[in-house]
Amino acid sequence: MNDKTALRLSTALREGSRALLALVIALLVAFLLVLLTSDEPMRAFQTFLTAPLGSARTRGLWIDDVAKLTLTGLAFSLVFQARQFSLGVQGQVYVGGLFAALVALSPIGQTWLAIPLGMLAAMLTGAAYGFLPGYAKARFGASEIVSSLMFNYIAIRVVNWVTRAHLAPEGSGQLSSPDFPDTAVFPALIPGTRFDLGILFALIATGVVWFLLYRTVWGLKLRLVGDNARFAEYAGIKSKAVMVSAMTVSGAIGGLLGAVYVQGRAFGRIDIDFDANLAFEGILVAIVAKNRPLAVPFVAIAYGYMRQGAQFMGLRTDVPTEMLAVAQALIILLVASQFNVPFAKTIARLRGRRPGGKSREART
Amino acid sequence: MIELLTAVFSVTFFVTVIRASTPLVFATMGGLISDLSGALNVALEGMMLIAALTSVIVSAYAPWWVGVLAGVSAGAMLGAVMALFHLRLKADIILVGFGVNILATGGTVFALSLATGGDKGTSINLPSKAIPRVNLPFLEDVPVLNLLHGHSLLSWFAVLTVVAIWYFLYRTPWGLWLRGVGEYPAAPEAAGVNVRQVRTWALVASGALSGLGGAQLAMFNYVGFTRDMTAGRGFIALGAVLLGARHPIGALFAALLFGVFEALSIVMPNLFSWIPGELIQTIPFVVTVLALILLSIRAQRALKARGVAN
Repeated sequence: MNDKTALRLSTALREGSRALLALVIALLVAFLLVLLTSDEPMRAFQTFLTAPLGSARTRGLWIDDVAKLTLTGLAFSLVFQARQFSLGVQGQVYVGGLFAALVALSPIGQTWLAIPLGMLAAMLTGAAYGFLPGYAKARFGASEIVSSLMFNYIAIRVVNWVTRAHLAPEGSGQLSSPDFPDTAVFPALIPGTRFDLGILFALIATGVVWFLLYRTVWGLKLRLVGDNARFAEYAGIKSKAVMVSAMTVSGAIGGLLGAVYVQGRAFGRIDIDFDANLAFEGILVAIVAKNRPLAVPFVAIAYGYMRQGAQFMGLRTDVPTEMLAVAQALIILLVASQFNVPFAKTIARLRGRRPGGKSREART
Repeated sequence: MIELLTAVFSVTFFVTVIRASTPLVFATMGGLISDLSGALNVALEGMMLIAALTSVIVSAYAPWWVGVLAGVSAGAMLGAVMALFHLRLKADIILVGFGVNILATGGTVFALSLATGGDKGTSINLPSKAIPRVNLPFLEDVPVLNLLHGHSLLSWFAVLTVVAIWYFLYRTPWGLWLRGVGEYPAAPEAAGVNVRQVRTWALVASGALSGLGGAQLAMFNYVGFTRDMTAGRGFIALGAVLLGARHPIGALFAALLFGVFEALSIVMPNLFSWIPGELIQTIPFVVTVLALILLSIRAQRALKARGVAN
């Protein structure tokens, strides 16, 4: 048992240090880019690194991002663990957000039921939206990568249309619904900031996903299917049913994120294009966390910090926020690859090359 | 309905279809080559987007064909980067692909803002050039043949590309290697084919073809770059590869089919102003999902008929 914990600890340390190394490399490249493109590179980079800690308000923005990134990271981790490249979280966020908004704007929105029912509605629609590509794959063998992405595009456009044409006050030309009643908006945990119930739900979801994956039979089956679907099938596991259920549960988390978005203090209403592509960035969180739910919040903390830093850099200096994309891509590429191996291999090769080189010479 | 039919059976609609299909055909061929070599390229979208921006920026300072070549090289380079991370550093090809896509979404806005001096939406203040249109005035009044008039030079090149890819895949030894590497890598490996090298070149070619698609998009379909202008075309192309049963001619028809629906979503707002624009925009995506499911059902039936499936 002790050996096991030690082993686990050393793996966690090794993976953690690799992620950190990737982060450092990405930050160095980001710094170089800022140096090359900015008139005041030092101030820009300092803003990037320190602005999120600046005030209670900015810390609230950061924590709000952490909550959202945790949820989307969990949704991606769950399907990735089943080795399903279902990328539909963004679509689930939109339909979930829409249904949470419908609850909040209905008469129920005026009562204490608004928050729990809004979340429930969002999770159910998200789950249904996650089920669709899963079912299409299990029943017909339709590639979940393509179909889930198509479902994203469809959801974003339809939800934007409903928001603009039906939820916005008529004739106002607004691109958002009216503000929800106070009863339908998450209370702030620290008054005056965005530090609200969202972070609590994110942490609970982390625990629930961990429990589902590592302490239930379903989770064991799911991980077996992810490791080797054929073997799992031989062992009597209905791998298709497991795949579909994984995508459905992941969809519920995506839907929950939709509710956290529209009912959170950051919005308290539904806007068009409200997720600002954050839902998709969960892919990065899941990859860096190696799909392990307990690692997801930590990655979200680090990545959320970078994300907010980049936002402030875009607002306060001449370096556009989108510079972050370069760092994002580098982190994904480095963490997904075995980038620490090449160095070891090169050394090994340098040592072991000579005989190989000779034999090649001998042949020619 | 009558208006729609007259619009659909007009020469201008045909030109719109060809215009909308051309980027898709290139990206689909790119997806096909890498898919056949056993590396599913989900980065077609990002490659097109980066190539589109590259060709716009370069064409603002150079002749149009230099802009196109720059887009192609940008795509090919991204393919090489994917090959490096996937084949040398053993990263999952799908994750690498999404790395490239994320780089493209933000990176193009970053680069656009640098190139235009702060504009993050469009390249409107860059005098970028267009790919020339092939005008055949002597055919203009000939029925049927007048359909050949007024297409992009690259549309003609796309037809050539499809034929060339078909010839390459099914009539040359290299094409056989490429398909073998995707089908059963151990066999070509035993025959002395360098599997990794074949996949590398497949990814580079895939990038170059997507780059052509991106250049057509930003130098003909629209002249200039707007953020996220590929709008899912790379993923639709991925669907077209599957829908075309992984054969160049099939993939060509699949890309044309999606082009028809994109063209419909272009002409419909003018005819039916009561249908919200957002819903019309979903047409290509809905069609892709439906086509994918229908194809999968058919493929399943075919397998069953052969007694392969249970």
